Amino acid sequence: MTPSGKMKLVDIAQVMRSKNAGPLQVTLDLLFAERAHYERALASPALARAEIARRYGVHEDTVQIVPYAAARAIKIVLDRPIVAGSPGDCDVYGAQQHYPLLDITV
Amino acid sequence: MNAVDTLLSQDLGPGKPLRVLAASGQLGYGIPIPAFRAGMERQPHFVGCDMGSIDVGPYYLGSGKLATSDIITRRDLKLVLQGARAHNVPLLLGTAGTSGAAPHLARTLDMIRDIAREERLNFRMAVIHADVPRDLIKRMNAAGRIRALGNIPPVDDRTIDAAAHIVGQMGNEAFMRALALRPDIIIAGRACDTAVFAAAPIMLGYDPGLSVHMAKIIECTSICCVPGGRDAILGTLEGNGFTLESMNPERAATPMSVAAHSLYEQADPLLVHEPEGVLDVSDARFEALDPRRTRVSGARWTPATQPTIKIEGAEWVAERAVLCAGSCDPRVIANLPAIEAGVRKNVDGILAGSASGYQIKFHVYGTGATQLFPGAALPTPGEIFFLVECLAPDADTAKAVAGVTKQYLLHHGFPGRLSTGGNIAFPFTPPELLGGTSYRYSLYHVIDCDDLAAVFPIEIEDVRGDVSVATA
Repeated sequence: MTPSGKMKLVDIAQVMRSKNAGPLQVTLDLLFAERAHYERALASPALARAEIARRYGVHEDTVQIVPYAAARAIKIVLDRPIVAGSPGDCDVYGAQQHYPLLDITV
Repeated sequence: MNAVDTLLSQDLGPGKPLRVLAASGQLGYGIPIPAFRAGMERQPHFVGCDMGSIDVGPYYLGSGKLATSDIITRRDLKLVLQGARAHNVPLLLGTAGTSGAAPHLARTLDMIRDIAREERLNFRMAVIHADVPRDLIKRMNAAGRIRALGNIPPVDDRTIDAAAHIVGQMGNEAFMRALALRPDIIIAGRACDTAVFAAAPIMLGYDPGLSVHMAKIIECTSICCVPGGRDAILGTLEGNGFTLESMNPERAATPMSVAAHSLYEQADPLLVHEPEGVLDVSDARFEALDPRRTRVSGARWTPATQPTIKIEGAEWVAERAVLCAGSCDPRVIANLPAIEAGVRKNVDGILAGSASGYQIKFHVYGTGATQLFPGAALPTPGEIFFLVECLAPDADTAKAVAGVTKQYLLHHGFPGRLSTGGNIAFPFTPPELLGGTSYRYSLYHVIDCDDLAAVFPIEIEDVRGDVSVATA
């Protein structure tokens, strides 16, 4: 818990992962062990579409947020700026794109 | 009776449990043997393996080469062939040789024939091809019956001709057609992961929604478990649901781990688009049978009105050389943009008249080189790694660009420079390495298809101990 009463996402998420969903998109999955943490994160403005777009430096239209209650998970889908594996790509599997989420508090 | 005859003669159907063993989600990286053997002891009705993916990048589709090594690919093929033949159960394998185009399929079949000779195995093999004819794509493009799957440039005749290989993902239809030819094993080119595991259940009358949902989960073997892993998994399908059980006793398929797997490498966890329909798992239920087994039910299937094929093509871009070097000099680290710009200018000056058509890409690790998106901001590092990628029309030029870049980066002068002995440390010599060929995905589209059988033709081959005879 931070002094302002917020919780660090890295402390309450069981998994924060990133991976391609096909060569044109990257998907970020936040999985929570506790339902209360899932609901807290889902309700937080820090995980709203506009805020995620700002953190990744992309347009809001290229960001989707998909809650999946059955797995206590929040999925974020981003359009890739470069098709996976093309010259200029830097993460062919898209497995290291969760960094901008690491300092979020909810 | 051969393996598929035996499968079809058992009066299987929704009233009876159908046991499906998923042996590998990516054959060729080493199938764990204890779990595979434990799975075979459970007397599966058939064994499925996935052998490829688009996720590995465009190089393999473009070059026609396998991502997996010869040694381990043979090991895995031998393991599953021996297992399936010893129990006379069908073996179905999809996306042969990483990408499933003609050269990948041919290489896989060569290995299978070698193993058959070495192990004195006899079997009837159905081979399904997945190379999509270029003229069909051109016709569909001209008729407006093609669409891009996201941000990929529009397709034209040049794109279609320039692709080194073009494959289509076959669905259940192709596997059902192959099963009807009563083989022992089916080796398919590029295929939907799900089709390998769902075609036989659907053919036997099991619910398509449950069949495809089970296939979607088991095609990754025990990744849906806690802890996740690559061990074989057994899916047992019945009339109103299916049960998942890892064949490694240390892995548990729990309701939460299985539900979470719906998210994996998927943009939409609730809807899965397949060539022959859409799987909707929004009403799926996940119930623990015991601490290691989960029962799943509730998925629904809506058949497509127009069959479609997802096509994938890769085009040659350049030959590549790379330069490897590091630095821990704070002034080098503080002046990176100016150093990169200065080095580029000097390299261009030296190469003018000697080399053309090249590109230099600085991947500077420690400063965000892993980050695809512009918003990521990393703290200033104490040490950095330069991976300088040089792309050129031929390998000699690429190596020349890397060599000149090495020297000019080493000795580049900038205001405040301390390290006049050299800006970078080389981990070995030569620090410039040939990096193979660069390809890019040029086709990632969906085309309408009115004749799936014409796009995915099947051959039958009787593979016999020391002699192999094509019969059709």
